[in-house]
Amino acid sequence: MTTVLDPPTLSDTDVATDNDTSLIGSSITHLPSPGETPVGPRRSLRKATLDDKFNIVGALVASVALTSLLFGWFTPLIGGVGYVVVAFVLFVGFYIILVALRADRQEVKDRVMTALMVSAGVILFGALIFVVGYTLIRGKDALPHLNFFTQTMELAGPLDPLSIGGILHAIVGSLIQITIALSITIPLGITTAVFLNEIGGRFARFVRTIADAMTALPSIVAGLFVYAAIIQLITHQRSGFAAAMAITVMMLPIVIRAADVVLRLVPGNLREASYALGSTRWSTVWNVVLPTARSGLVTAVILGTARGIGETSPVLLTSGITSVMNFNPFSGPMISLPLQVFDFVKSPEPNMIARGFGTAAVLLLLVVALFTVARIIGGRGPGQLSDSQRRRLAAASLEDLARMSRTTPNRDATDVDHAANPEETSR
Amino acid sequence: MTTTVTHRETASPTSPGPVRRSLLSVPSRSDSVFKLVSFTAGMTTVGIMLAVGLFLSLRASDALRVSGFSFLVQQQWSPETHVFGIAAVLFGTVTIAIIAMCVAVPLALGTSLLISEVTRGPVRSILVSLVDLMAAVPSVVYGLWGLFFLQANVIPISSWISTYFAWIPIFAVTGGSGEHLTEASAYTSSAFIAGIVVGLMVVPTQTSVMREAFSQAPVGEREGALALGSTRWGMIRTVVIPFGRGGIIGGTMLGLGRALGETIAVYMIISPIFTINWQVLKTGTNSVSALIALRYGEASDFGLSALMAAGLVLFVITLIVNFTASSIVARSRSGAETG
Amino acid sequence: MTPRIRLIRLISILFAMTIFVGAAATAVPQSATAVTYTPISGTGSTWSQNALDQWRRNVATNYGMTVNYSGTGSSAGRKDFINGTVDFAVSEIPFQAAPEDGSAPEKPANGYAYMPIVAGGTAFMYNLKIGGKRVTNLRLGGETITKIFTNRITNWNDPQIQADNPGLAMPNKPIVPVVRSDGSGSTAQFTLWMSKQYSALWSAFSGRSGLTSQYPVKGSAKAQSGSLGVAGYVSQAYGEGAITYVEYSYALKSGFPVAKVLNAAGYYVEPTASSVAVALLQAAINPSDLTQILDGVYNNADKRTYPLSSYSYMIVPTNIPATGSIFTQAKGATLSTFASYMLCEGQQQAAALGYSPLPLNLVKAGFTQIARIPGSTATSGDLSKCNNPTFDPANPGSNKLATIAPQPAPCDQRGPNQCTSGTAGAASTPTGVTGSGSGGKAAGSSATGAVAGSTGAAGAGTGTDAGQAGGAQLASSTGSGEAAVSSPFSEPAAPFGAGQLLMLVSGVLVVLAIVLPPVLSKSLRARGSGKNS
Repeated sequence: MTTVLDPPTLSDTDVATDNDTSLIGSSITHLPSPGETPVGPRRSLRKATLDDKFNIVGALVASVALTSLLFGWFTPLIGGVGYVVVAFVLFVGFYIILVALRADRQEVKDRVMTALMVSAGVILFGALIFVVGYTLIRGKDALPHLNFFTQTMELAGPLDPLSIGGILHAIVGSLIQITIALSITIPLGITTAVFLNEIGGRFARFVRTIADAMTALPSIVAGLFVYAAIIQLITHQRSGFAAAMAITVMMLPIVIRAADVVLRLVPGNLREASYALGSTRWSTVWNVVLPTARSGLVTAVILGTARGIGETSPVLLTSGITSVMNFNPFSGPMISLPLQVFDFVKSPEPNMIARGFGTAAVLLLLVVALFTVARIIGGRGPGQLSDSQRRRLAAASLEDLARMSRTTPNRDATDVDHAANPEETSR
Repeated sequence: MTTTVTHRETASPTSPGPVRRSLLSVPSRSDSVFKLVSFTAGMTTVGIMLAVGLFLSLRASDALRVSGFSFLVQQQWSPETHVFGIAAVLFGTVTIAIIAMCVAVPLALGTSLLISEVTRGPVRSILVSLVDLMAAVPSVVYGLWGLFFLQANVIPISSWISTYFAWIPIFAVTGGSGEHLTEASAYTSSAFIAGIVVGLMVVPTQTSVMREAFSQAPVGEREGALALGSTRWGMIRTVVIPFGRGGIIGGTMLGLGRALGETIAVYMIISPIFTINWQVLKTGTNSVSALIALRYGEASDFGLSALMAAGLVLFVITLIVNFTASSIVARSRSGAETG
Repeated sequence: MTPRIRLIRLISILFAMTIFVGAAATAVPQSATAVTYTPISGTGSTWSQNALDQWRRNVATNYGMTVNYSGTGSSAGRKDFINGTVDFAVSEIPFQAAPEDGSAPEKPANGYAYMPIVAGGTAFMYNLKIGGKRVTNLRLGGETITKIFTNRITNWNDPQIQADNPGLAMPNKPIVPVVRSDGSGSTAQFTLWMSKQYSALWSAFSGRSGLTSQYPVKGSAKAQSGSLGVAGYVSQAYGEGAITYVEYSYALKSGFPVAKVLNAAGYYVEPTASSVAVALLQAAINPSDLTQILDGVYNNADKRTYPLSSYSYMIVPTNIPATGSIFTQAKGATLSTFASYMLCEGQQQAAALGYSPLPLNLVKAGFTQIARIPGSTATSGDLSKCNNPTFDPANPGSNKLATIAPQPAPCDQRGPNQCTSGTAGAASTPTGVTGSGSGGKAAGSSATGAVAGSTGAAGAGTGTDAGQAGGAQLASSTGSGEAAVSSPFSEPAAPFGAGQLLMLVSGVLVVLAIVLPPVLSKSLRARGSGKNS
C-alpha cells in the first residue's frame, strides 16, 4: 500500500481558513508563518478526486443495473416511484462498499452522510420542480393570453374561450389582502419580538410561550375564528378585510417567532458596546439590534408572507367568491389567488381548469417577484453593504473626520453616542 | 455570543463628586415610550391569541353542552342526530401529521444541512430562494398533484409494503373479515398518501427554520472541531446539530402545526370516514380541518357549532404539543444560549 | 437606512402597485346600457354554479347587469337568505321547518318563493373493463343502483347487474362506489330519489327517512371532495371498478361513459338534456309550500324519461323587509329581469353546460313566482317572447319538446338485447357483446336489435366467461389476457408464502454475489498487508 489518501481533515481545515471567509466572520484563524520550509505546488482542495468521482458514478451504474435486473421479479414494485426507491437504496449500499474499500470508517460516514444530504436536496427540489412544472404545463393554455392578466372574470363564463376573461381581480384581491395583513403583522410582530428580547421579564416570557404555541395555529382555525368573531358578529358579510384578518392571525405568530429567534442571535457584545457608549435602550434597538438582524427579519417576514399568500384555508371561510373587481376591502366579497385556483378547478369545463392552473402559476410568479424585491431591499447581512452604501458611508466618515478635527477634543459625553453611529449622520 | 446580556439601565454620567450617587436612573422619554409601545404590542399579541380560544369556546359551547364528554370518545360525526364526536377525526389528523413528519423531518434536515454546510456561493442563495418559493405553492396545487399524479405512483409501494410487512399491524390492509386486500382501490385516499403530500408541503417551512439555526453555529467551534481532525460530518454531528437542536425542534413544530392544520390538500385526497382506522395504507382517514372545510357549507347552526368545537380541540392540541416543544427547546443548548 | 424604513418603503411600493393596477383596471370601459341595473348578489348551491356563472356573464355582457354569485353550498345560501345578507339564494333543498338536529327551524321572517332555475339528471359515471376493453354501454335498474350505493351489491358479477346487462359478461370485480365527501346538491338529489323510490333500502342503510346532502360512507365506498374529485377518482387507472354519481357534464368532459338507467316504461335511458326535460314534464309543485314533488318524474311513463331528474330552486324575496335586509325595490327589478332571462334565453345553453333545459310547465311556474318579486318587470305575457328550447314561443301552448325529443332505440328496452353504442364521453366507443344477450345499435331510432344482434351471440349460455365471447371487438382477446389487462394494479393474492420466500432468498444471494467479492478482498488484503509489514 503505497498510495496515500488525502487526509480529509487537513483539507477541510484549509478550506475553512483559506477560502470561507463568509463563514468565519470576525474571528479569523491565523496560520503560523511557514518559515524556511519550501512550499510545494499548491493543491486544489475543492476538486473531487478521481476516486470520489468513480465511487459515485460506479455506485450509480451498479444500482441502476441491479435494479433493472431485479425489478418486478422479487421486488414486486410497479411504477416509476418504486424503481427509484429500490435504485436509491441500492445506490447507498454500493456507495458505502465502494468508499469503504479505500477509506476508514470516519470518512465512510462523512461521504455517506454527504450523499444522503445531497439526495434529500435532490428529492426536495425534484418534487418542487415536478410540482411547479406540473402547474406550468397544465396552465400553459391559459398563460399565453394577455387578457388573462388584464381582465376579470366578469365577462367570462364557463363556456367562453381562454381569450376572454382573466384573473386581474384575484391578483388585486391578493395584493390588497396581503398588504393589509403585512401592514399589521410587520409592526406588531417585530415590536413584539423586540419586546421579548429587549424588555424581557416575566410577562415577556409568557408572551413568548403564547406566541411559540400559536405558531402551530391551524390555518383553518384562524379562518374559523375570524368567521365567528368578525363575520358573524360584526360585518355579517364576507369581505377582503375579514380575509386579511384571518391571514394576519395566521401570519403573526410565524413572524414573531422567526423574528424572535433572529433577534436572540444578535451578539450580546454589540448591545453592550452600545449601552457602554451611553445610548438609550431605544436607540440601541433602532441603531444596533434591528440593523444587525435585518437579513433575518426579512426572512421572517418572507416566511410569513409565503404562508399567508399561498394558503387557501383561512380565506375559504372569510373572503367570499366573486368574479368582479373589488377595490373595497370592507364591503363585498374579494377573491384572492389561492381561492380563485380552488374555485376554478372545481369546474367541469377544461377551460376553467386550465385557468385554475394558470392562476396557480401566476401566484408562484407573484411570490417570486415579492421575494426578489424583499431580498434586494433587505436581504443582505449586517456586514454586507452595496457599493453605493459603501461610498455613502465612506463620504460620511470623511465628513466626520473633518468635523471632528474642527471641533475641540473636549466633548460632552452625549456626543459619544453621536459619533458611534456614523449612519446617523448619513441620514 | 456566549455572554448573556444583562439589562441594566444606562447610568447617565454626572459630575464626579464625593456623594454616592444612586445607580437607579430615570429612563429617558424615548425609552418609556418604547417600553410602552412594545409592551402594548405584546399585550395585543396575547389578546389576539386569547380571543381565538375565547370565540371558539363560545361558539362551540352549544355543541359541547349537548355532547358533553362523549365528544372526545365518540367516533361518529352526525350532528343532525346529536351523535357526534371527534375521536376518529382526531386520530386521522394525528396519523396524517405523524406520517408527514416522518417524510418531512429527514428531508428538511438533509436539505438544510446541505444548504448551510455543503453548498456555497450562488448555488446556496439559489437553493434558499427555491425553498422559499416552494413554501408558497398553493395547497390546491399540491392537492391536485397528489390526487392525479402521486396517488397512482404510490399505490404500488403501499401495496408492496402491506404485502411484506403485514405482520406489523399498522401496515396490514385487510377487509371486513380480515383477509388481505389486493385491489388498487383499497390503497387509494389513505392516510399514507395524504401524509406524503402534506409532508412535502411542510418541508420548506422546516428547512428555512433549521437552516437559519445551523448557519448560526459558532465559527470558532466549527474550526475547533475541524482542527482536531474531524471530518465534515463529524463537525456537523458534534457542533452544528447540537447547536441547532432548538432550531430543529422549532422547525419541526412549525411544520407539525401546518401538517395538523393543512386543509385543502388533505380535503382533496382523503376519503373521510368516521371510524378509527389503524391501517395507514388503507383507504379512509379523516382530518379536523378537512372536516371543517367539507361540512361548513351545508352545516346548520348546530352543525357549525359542532365544527367550531372540533376546531377548538385541534387548537388545544396544537397548543399542548407546542408548549411541550418549547419547554424542550428552552432546555437545549442553542435555546438556552439564544434566549 | 434602517430595516423599518425599508419595510415601510416596501409596503408603500406594494400599495402603489395595487393602486396602479386598480386604476388600469377601472379604465376598461363598461358596456354602456340604456337601463341601469342595481347590482344583486346571491349565494347557494354549488351544483348550479356552472350555469349561474355563465348566465351572470351573459347578463353582464348583454344588459350591463352585475350579478354576484358564490357557490358556498345550499345550506349556507338558505342561511344567508334568512339573515338578509343576500338578494337571492339557490338551493336544491327547501327551507327545513323542523331540522333533524334540533337547531332553530329555518324560517325566513319575510316572504319568499321558490323558482325553478335549472334542471339536471344524476348521472352514474363508471370505469369498468371486460377483457381489457372499456365497457361503455352499462345498463342499471333503479333498484340495482340503490343496492350498489347502499352496499347490498358489492361485485360487478352480481346476478342483478347481469340481468340488466344481457350483452355483457360481467367480470368478477368488486364494485367501488365513490360518493361525495362534501355536502352537495348532487347527493341531496340522489338521496331524495332513493328515499322516495326505495325507502326501505335507503333507511336501512342510512338510518334516516329523507334526503341528506352528506352521504354516509360505509363499507367499500370511497368519498372524494367535489365533482372533480369523484370524477377524477373514477377516471384514474386505479379507479377501475368504480362508479359514482356526478353531473353529466363531468362524464362528457372526462371521456367516460355513464350508465343508462331503467325508467318506468321499461327502457334504459341516458341522462341527456332532452331525456331529463321530458321527465320533468311531470314535475308537480306543492300548492301549499311551493316545493317540488318529483314522484311523477321518477315514475314518468314516457319511454324517453331519465328517472333521476330534478331541478334546483332560486329562492327569491316576495316583499321588501322593513329592516335587516339588503333587498330593495330596485334590486327586485334587476332580479326579475335576471330571472326571466334564466328561464328563457338562459336555458338555451343549459345542455352545453351539462344541465338540461326546463320544460314548459316549470317555466310557467317560474314566471308566476317572478311576478311576485317586488318591483318585478316581468309579466306572464312574456312567455310568448320566451326563447326557451323546449317550446315554441309563438305557440306556448304546444309542447315542442314532446315532439322533438328522440325516442330510445329498441335495443334499449329491457330484454335480451343490449345496445353496443357508447354513452356520454365515450359515445364514440362501442362495446362488443360479451354476454349471452345480443347487441344492437342506438344510432337511430330506426335501428333494430335484430339487425345489430347479428354482430355476435356466440357466448350464449356462458354469460360469465368473457374468454368465450364472440364479440367482434374481442376476437383477439383470450381469457388469460383479460386477467392481465383488466387488473393492472392487482398484487399477488398470497401475502407472503413459500414463493415469495424463495424469491427473497434468491434475491439476497444475487446481492451477496455482487457485494461479497470486494468486501472479502479488502479484508484479505488488509490481513495480507498486516502480515507483510
